[in-house]
Amino acid sequence: MNPRFHQLPPDQQAWIQDYVNGTLDEAGFAAFQNELARNPALRSQLRRYLALDDHLRRGSDEAAGISADWQAAAAPPPPPKPVAFSMSRLRQAWPAALAACLAFGLAVTLFWKPRPDDTATEEAVASGFAVVTRLLNAQWPEGASARREGDALGSETFALADGAAEIQFFCGATVTLQGPARLTLDSAWAATCHAGSLRVHVPPAARGFKLHAPDTEITDLGTELGLEVTEAGAKVAVFEGEIAMRHREGPEQIVPGGKGFDLPKSSQAAETKVSPDTFPNPALLDPHFQNQRQRSFERWQTHRDTFAADPRLIAYYTFDQPRGSGSVANLAVPNDPESAGAIILAETVDGRWPGLKQALEFRRPGSRVRVNLPGEFQAFTFSAWVRIDSLDRRYSSLFMADGYETGEPHWQLRDDGKLMLSVMVDDTRPNPKMPEDAGFHRVYYSPPVWDVSKSGQWMHLTSVFDPAAREVRHYVDGRRVSEQAIEPDFFIGTLRIGNAEIGNWGEPFRDTPWFAIRHLNGRIDELAVFKAALTDEAIARIFEGSRTGSAPARKLR
Amino acid sequence: MPGPPPSSDDAYERFLKLFAHHENDLRTFIRSLLPTWHDADEVVQQSALVIWRKFDQFDPSTEFMKWACVIARFEALAYRRKMARDRLVFREDILELMADEGAEEIDQRQAEYEALESCLQAIPEKHRRLLTLAYTPGIKVKELARQAGSSSAAFYMRLNRLRKDLMHCIESKTQSAS
Repeated sequence: MNPRFHQLPPDQQAWIQDYVNGTLDEAGFAAFQNELARNPALRSQLRRYLALDDHLRRGSDEAAGISADWQAAAAPPPPPKPVAFSMSRLRQAWPAALAACLAFGLAVTLFWKPRPDDTATEEAVASGFAVVTRLLNAQWPEGASARREGDALGSETFALADGAAEIQFFCGATVTLQGPARLTLDSAWAATCHAGSLRVHVPPAARGFKLHAPDTEITDLGTELGLEVTEAGAKVAVFEGEIAMRHREGPEQIVPGGKGFDLPKSSQAAETKVSPDTFPNPALLDPHFQNQRQRSFERWQTHRDTFAADPRLIAYYTFDQPRGSGSVANLAVPNDPESAGAIILAETVDGRWPGLKQALEFRRPGSRVRVNLPGEFQAFTFSAWVRIDSLDRRYSSLFMADGYETGEPHWQLRDDGKLMLSVMVDDTRPNPKMPEDAGFHRVYYSPPVWDVSKSGQWMHLTSVFDPAAREVRHYVDGRRVSEQAIEPDFFIGTLRIGNAEIGNWGEPFRDTPWFAIRHLNGRIDELAVFKAALTDEAIARIFEGSRTGSAPARKLR
Repeated sequence: MPGPPPSSDDAYERFLKLFAHHENDLRTFIRSLLPTWHDADEVVQQSALVIWRKFDQFDPSTEFMKWACVIARFEALAYRRKMARDRLVFREDILELMADEGAEEIDQRQAEYEALESCLQAIPEKHRRLLTLAYTPGIKVKELARQAGSSSAAFYMRLNRLRKDLMHCIESKTQSAS
């Protein structure tokens, strides 16, 4: 993955911003060009930023002349003295969404923290009020973003080219959508269907959920209903309960269960017989969801068996031990019972395939898995499927050697979402930055890879300590997110592990609480340690082989 | 379009249709090569002329945008040579790199434009108002800042911040796609 804009070094961000504003000075421009010539990531970000600049301008242009979706309601202020403009559509939708989210306290709210380099006053708040709960053979229209199960959705349009998707609104309503379909999420309480066929289940707590079709407004009074929108108009069928419906300029009418209506574009609603088969049926989809999950799990099992035979593995734990078991086997071939992990307090919970595979949860402060992995190594790769619920400790452990003695690794996350990998270079030499700290080492950070919007989602994290290439690399979901050179002073070629812990740190050497408590508030589904520095391709393959879902393989770079 | 009419009205129709369909994407592509909107507009116009002039060489079984990007790249380079001594005009090698890589990202740009739509809906109204102001054709940031009673530096900072948030939003929405 290319770094995102906010992950670029601050000076590179400033170059791009000043270049676009036309305020970059000559020396800055020269440095900018030199960096551009050698840095494809910077070029890629510059193009994206310039495209944003162009798109924003296009929006203004189009509002000035032709109508455009997002600018249509925003009549442009005539220069030079701009006047207030109406944003009726957005103004209505946004506070409603916000209110709903606050009311339910379920909002996935991520605050874009004000950065120290930036004194602008307001904080931007992005908010979600629905979540993609299930996907079945989902295909996405060209150019639209691919969604994953667990994705939070806010005020946006969800487009499905094929397959089925289930979206749960935070008010409790569940929409099952059959592709091709386009649904705009207006708030936790309202959605607009532009095309396609769907079924809504509205439990009592979500009564009042509003569904719009191009010419019809439906208020769901606690029911199950189907809606199909085509070019010619819409069709609605009430399976249970009742709805209030207003079509075009007609009067609002109450439609009881068992009835269906034709809702043509250009004439009145007309009662008709609508077959329930017209609409997606979650009950009929269930076996398919199960099947998909089963196939995906079997795919992983095959991957696991070949993976375990990789001679570069030091350890491979998949945590699918029987519930209540006190130990987890190291699956790396040849199997060595000595390197099994001892499970302490960590709970066996559902893993990435609920009901099929388990994981370990390290939510309780004392939870940990203790391992002993003797030997000397020339490189490390740590790789794990992790579900982080929150990073409320200063540091959250993934894999930590006990004593942090010379050659021993620490793999963890910081509370700002950055992955950290470090290896003790010399535990007898004082650390110039933190003299009271134990020993001479350097921590290699990734850009932030986690924020609260990813809470509860499974992620594949990998970090590589590569002394031969003098480099440390971090990966998320099989893609490299950063690399950093190991400088000569911090070089160490002989690595060890010995006693270590997964999901916690056994022997903190400082007694300050933020150092001492480092359990991971989340789950680990599998974890592998290699005595080699894996390549980008190998890491992408591991991600592909072990991921959930049946989506076709991503293109590997 | 004031191009010379080398072929039938039919060809002109086809050209207009294709060009109208792709003009926005072509402008976005050209914008990434040159320092200002004004420069980009010039090169879009010049490219449109050349595309029409050479339209009989266009093979309809190939992608129009690919072909148009090749022409626009050439026109941007020619424009660059005239403007090379102006501020913030890229070196030739960088312009070429940007053009070659940018021509492969047309689909990505469209996805980002779509994502921007929903990202704009998710920001507070006063931020949208600021953006609309800043991007109003013919507006001068100095003048805007004066009216708002702040310095242009503060205005740019706010604008930078907003665009950064939009970039974050767009990247979140588009980078989960393959």
